[in-house]
Amino acid sequence: MDISSDESDDWFIESLNTYKDLHVFQLEHPTKVIEWTGDKNICVAGYTGSRSEILELLLPLKLYAGENQGLCAERDFKVQHGGFSEEPIESLIHISGTRCVVTSGSSSSTLQIWDIGGDDSDVIKRTGVINLKSTSVKGCKIAPGLTDEPAVLHGSCISEVQLTEIATGRVLYTVAKESSDSVSGLQFVNACVFLICASDGTLFMGDTRDPSTCHYPLEDSKSGLHWAFGLRSDSSQSEPSGCTVARLSSSGHMLLSDLRNLQSPFCQTQLNVQHDASKNDFLNVSWAPVLDRCLSVSGFDGTVHIYNTINWSTEGQSPQPVFSHRGHEMSDEAKYSGSPPVVTTHSWHQSRPKTLLSAATDGSLHVWDWVDKITDR
Amino acid sequence: MPDIKVTPLGAGQDVGRSCILVSIGGKNIMLDCGMHMGYNDDRRFPDFSYITQNGRLTEFLDCVIISHFHLDHCGALPYMSEMVGYDGPIYMTHPTKAICPILLEDFRKITVDKKGETNFFTSQMIKDCMKKVVPLNLHQTVQVDEELEIKAYYAGHVLGAAMVQIKVGSESVVYTGDYNMTPDRHLGAAWIDKCRPDLLISESTYATTIRDSKRCRERDFLKKVHETVERGGKVLIPVFALGRAQELCILLETFWERMNLKAPIYFSTGLTEKANHYYKLFITWTNQKIRKTFVQRNMFEFKHIKAFDRSYADNPGPMVVFATPGMLHAGQSLLIFKKWAGNEKNMVIMPGYCVQGTVGHKILNGQKKLEMEGRATVIIGTLDVKLQVEYMSFSAHADAKGIMQLIRMAEPRNMLLVHGEAKKMEFLKDKIEQEFSISCYMPANGETTSIVTNPSVPVDISLNLLKREMALGGPLPDAKRPRTMHGTLIMKDNSLRLVSPEQALKELGLSEHQLRFTCRVQLHDPHSDNDTLGRIYTHLKSVLKTYSIQHVPDGTVIVESIVIKVTSSAEEPNLKVILLSWSYQDEELGSFLSTLLKKGLPS
Repeated sequence: MDISSDESDDWFIESLNTYKDLHVFQLEHPTKVIEWTGDKNICVAGYTGSRSEILELLLPLKLYAGENQGLCAERDFKVQHGGFSEEPIESLIHISGTRCVVTSGSSSSTLQIWDIGGDDSDVIKRTGVINLKSTSVKGCKIAPGLTDEPAVLHGSCISEVQLTEIATGRVLYTVAKESSDSVSGLQFVNACVFLICASDGTLFMGDTRDPSTCHYPLEDSKSGLHWAFGLRSDSSQSEPSGCTVARLSSSGHMLLSDLRNLQSPFCQTQLNVQHDASKNDFLNVSWAPVLDRCLSVSGFDGTVHIYNTINWSTEGQSPQPVFSHRGHEMSDEAKYSGSPPVVTTHSWHQSRPKTLLSAATDGSLHVWDWVDKITDR
Repeated sequence: MPDIKVTPLGAGQDVGRSCILVSIGGKNIMLDCGMHMGYNDDRRFPDFSYITQNGRLTEFLDCVIISHFHLDHCGALPYMSEMVGYDGPIYMTHPTKAICPILLEDFRKITVDKKGETNFFTSQMIKDCMKKVVPLNLHQTVQVDEELEIKAYYAGHVLGAAMVQIKVGSESVVYTGDYNMTPDRHLGAAWIDKCRPDLLISESTYATTIRDSKRCRERDFLKKVHETVERGGKVLIPVFALGRAQELCILLETFWERMNLKAPIYFSTGLTEKANHYYKLFITWTNQKIRKTFVQRNMFEFKHIKAFDRSYADNPGPMVVFATPGMLHAGQSLLIFKKWAGNEKNMVIMPGYCVQGTVGHKILNGQKKLEMEGRATVIIGTLDVKLQVEYMSFSAHADAKGIMQLIRMAEPRNMLLVHGEAKKMEFLKDKIEQEFSISCYMPANGETTSIVTNPSVPVDISLNLLKREMALGGPLPDAKRPRTMHGTLIMKDNSLRLVSPEQALKELGLSEHQLRFTCRVQLHDPHSDNDTLGRIYTHLKSVLKTYSIQHVPDGTVIVESIVIKVTSSAEEPNLKVILLSWSYQDEELGSFLSTLLKKGLPS
């Protein structure tokens, strides 16, 4: 009759069984950031035009209706706050406990500080800048400090990494390492200890109480690969042990290391990925906040893969994902455009165990709650 | 300055009812006349006292336009026309005209019969109101009077929904009503041409949302139906004959086919007859797919969906039933509901808004026990609501992205958003203003916004005058480069004509008078009169390089039309009197020359 039986329709019909919840949205401009600013709020920002919008969105209330989900018809995102940036936005972080976000762009030599705002206005206003030592085309990497006083850890290459206090612009800490390797990601493990992952896969661990840093290069580093990392912390911030670091290369090589022994990864495996992600910088690996030992991977194509690392071993075949979200490849927009969309970023919900958000190059934004075929039936 | 005034009726932050007054070019138009569904008292009606404190509205309004049949846009129409009083034309599209009275009557029955309201319109009032309706076709310009014209555009949203362009002279306003920019299974997407109105008026209600895709809504619907049927339950879907019923039927049919499901699907016969009738009438208002389906066969001829018989409701096992009316307030859907409500395996899916007082409204608010009324509203017992209640919204609305698309399509000079809180809309206002370089207004209800327009005044120019202007040479007339020209404007009746002064004098039977100014300047100059004149000539030639200056042998110097003579008296031959004479047209130059010569001649 009317619905043509093509792959996309099949996928939607299949989704009745494979997803508990599925919401598909189309942003006006694609985003490569999804950052939580509250229990039910996220920030997204444009990166494709010279002028970009930053939006704070309220997630569909239907997801939070619990038992009364049936009576709640609210399936839409609500734009709660919006602002304009003069440059494409590469990274965006939220400072916990505040209404402040910091962004880094691809064209300026500053980090921008923003106030998302409260109930009295829906405009996101810029409140200040942090001057950087240099401009990086890929944007400076940033991470929130975990101390009481809001600070941001930033740097586009190792020697330029520093911790800056937001309110005053005071530099609290500088990495004393002469290295021009570019930074792929950085994150605080607790209030003082932080990790930097360089583009070539080398890990640096530092402590703001101690100027020196330790670095842990890869055992056999292949040139031309780009690495991204994801940090999983257990419970409290006091003890860095119990933290696992996952490193992912643009060819799908995955290393898992324990923070107590970053020299030797306790697990290495090769993921079965179709495409080489080295041409873009959308590589993303994240640990699930609730599900034990689960991580997610995206950036190779229009898919987000979820793996359970519990049975991973160093030898053997490449692991199979417990779930793959192919929604971005199956959208109507993807059908009509020339090139298939690539997932730009994804993020786990803080408390709902199997809910994720993902965004792609075609402007799509999905919220999905997947069914684990083994445990959920 | 000419302006357009817009006032959304209502109070404060009140959302939920549309009734907007527009004053343009001396005409007053009412856009929509909705009922506020949240109130039980007079607050549900728009406050017409803004138009006039007491008395009928007829002389204050040139016309009323209704965008579509939803009650928050037309619910107060009979009240306005019959109880407050309005006898002028009411414009709406053909489908709206057909469907409106049905909804109004249903609404009236619920409000009066079920809730016992007294200050409400009657069935006869609805009929009398509809007699004043003048139906509109799409893209057809309708002359309301000599100066006011209106045109309807396709809005999508629901069957017969329209966006309207209102034009007086060269000023125009477009009102969107409710619309959507993405087509769905039975309606197309809104469309308008680059009509460049002075003002585009739209709702802001959905402007700050990002809509979940239609596919996901459908998915949810199919999932719920499937789950219920799998566990042996029955699904009741109360529908309004012309709402989503057709769409949901197509969806289920395809799903059943693909999944090879066996549970029966029924629709009540009342539904088919009505739906078929209206879709046949208004086939051009649906989208391409529906039209193709219709042409091939009867719209409701499905493989898996059959006509319902009352007795089937008692059959054991799973089934799905589409039944009217949509709000469970009476009729077949309510009967079935009563039978199935007590079983938790069953489900009722409400696909839209339910008016207060209906069973639909109550269960959507979570009510688990309902008082059942028999004849004459006598309560005969309570009903336990154990079945699962699902509220699914399939209505098609534009969102933030959609508004931007529409502005891009129509290219208005100004934008106005109604029914929003200004402080929650600042970002959208900034966005619109920056992207399109237009002003965006957001009045509160009851507040009047004036938008200054810059209308062009079309004037007929006489051929002679045009030829004369062309003969003057210079650059050709260009819309982007205005050129000043002179003529006489004759305004007679409604026409404006630009003609040459001579023609104007002739037409009006007036004789022409010439004005000449004369001025005497005294000068000491020890030369002969002729020599003095020669010196004057030389002097003027050096100062006025671009003008035509002649020294005529008869003793005059002529500058353009200005005549200069020099005389002196016999007694004082050195005291020269320079006589200047000029016509009114050369007044400026004449004054200049006299001032110049008063300063004396250079030696």
